[in-house]
Amino acid sequence: MLTSAELVWLMAAVAKGDQAAFERLYVATRAKLYGVALRILRRSDLADEVLQETYLKIWHSAGSFDPKVASPITWMVAIARNRSLDLIRKKSEVSLEDEPAAAEAAGEEPNPLARREMTEELRRLLGCLGQLQEDRRRMVLLAYYSGWSREQLAVKFDAPANTIKTWLRRSLMEIRECLGS
Amino acid sequence: MTMDEDRQGFAAEYALGTLDSDERAQAEALLLVDPEFVAEVKRWERRLGELNVLVAPVEPPAPLWEQIKARVADAGPAEPMRLPEVAVAPAAAAAAPSAQVIDLTRRVRRWRALTAATAALAACLIGVVVARDLRPDLMPSGLRPNTRVVERVIEKEVVREGPSARPAQLVAVFQKDEQSPAFVMSVDVDKRTVTVRQVAAERLADKSYQLWIATAPGAAPQSLGVLGNDEFTVKATLAAYDPAVINNATFGISLEPLGGSPTDRPTGPVIHAKLLQVTPGQ
Repeated sequence: MLTSAELVWLMAAVAKGDQAAFERLYVATRAKLYGVALRILRRSDLADEVLQETYLKIWHSAGSFDPKVASPITWMVAIARNRSLDLIRKKSEVSLEDEPAAAEAAGEEPNPLARREMTEELRRLLGCLGQLQEDRRRMVLLAYYSGWSREQLAVKFDAPANTIKTWLRRSLMEIRECLGS
Repeated sequence: MTMDEDRQGFAAEYALGTLDSDERAQAEALLLVDPEFVAEVKRWERRLGELNVLVAPVEPPAPLWEQIKARVADAGPAEPMRLPEVAVAPAAAAAAPSAQVIDLTRRVRRWRALTAATAALAACLIGVVVARDLRPDLMPSGLRPNTRVVERVIEKEVVREGPSARPAQLVAVFQKDEQSPAFVMSVDVDKRTVTVRQVAAERLADKSYQLWIATAPGAAPQSLGVLGNDEFTVKATLAAYDPAVINNATFGISLEPLGGSPTDRPTGPVIHAKLLQVTPGQ
């Protein structure tokens, strides 16, 4: 992966319509974005579609990327996640039978090997997550990594969806306070 | 205006990803019109986005790049998104308005004629934003009108990128003024439900907001129910209406005495009006 500064530079070039820069950006970020989408969608055909839409949007919106507000990779990951979530929410309303075992396997445990890449920001965030109660922390991680909805969390944690909502929001506000920004 | 707790939580949950599809559509509608909401979502995306570092990378299939390249070539150069010009201010009239905008304007008049017959149109009716099956990525961030237009209905229509098998979903934001969304409404045409989320509408102890539907130009509005004072969202059924009728219906929200209109018509000022426009052929 390129450094954040290099990605910012590539984004600026993409915003000007530089196709070579776009390809370099793709090469540098595709595996991360595909991993994010696949984890939520759990189907490679859907992840393929989301990845295409994500890069199409990156191509068109690079000009609105503001390095003061976001880092390039979190900005791109947010696009891939939002695309994935929009798709999975529509799908799962029709058929949630996508065997729960697969959902379980997707798990909430992130990739431990990547820990050496840990940024200072991530260290702080994990510190704050660590202050949450065990099940609240798992809820947040399942939602973030696997794209679980309140309803899915309600089943797993055996609580009404409204209670899940209250817990999630409380947890998020605690995280915000802990981060202090 | 500071964001109320519900809207903050809504932004946080949107970024976390726990909203259902109806709520996501509403949040995406807010992202088009509410700069505070946009900023809040961006802050959350940044806070939580750090977690991506721990996601294991997976190489996508090689042919994907060729497909992306082809789609980018089809879509043309990276330019500030395609969106029909919005007829907001007289200045914009110089640009030839599209048929769509003209059609929308006609419908605005329809709604006005309708409300004039039943109740005074409040001066605070300023903006209505319509989006079909929202694609916020198609919205340029700088499009929001910066002139204050009073008693003028502002329309924005988001055009879909292509056909999709997704169920029809219509979303609209009802605004008090350009910076203050009051309600977000989403209509699921297939399920025939309408959900209204009170975003920043003033909560009045002795008044109620009531939702109306007018099924055709000139038709009398019919009540879809009173919006609960303490609830943020209200789901009303449109089971009695045909999907084709719903697609062409006009929705309005009026301010009524506590408990709703004493008659079967809106009696108070229509604070927010709503137009639904279905992009032809989709």
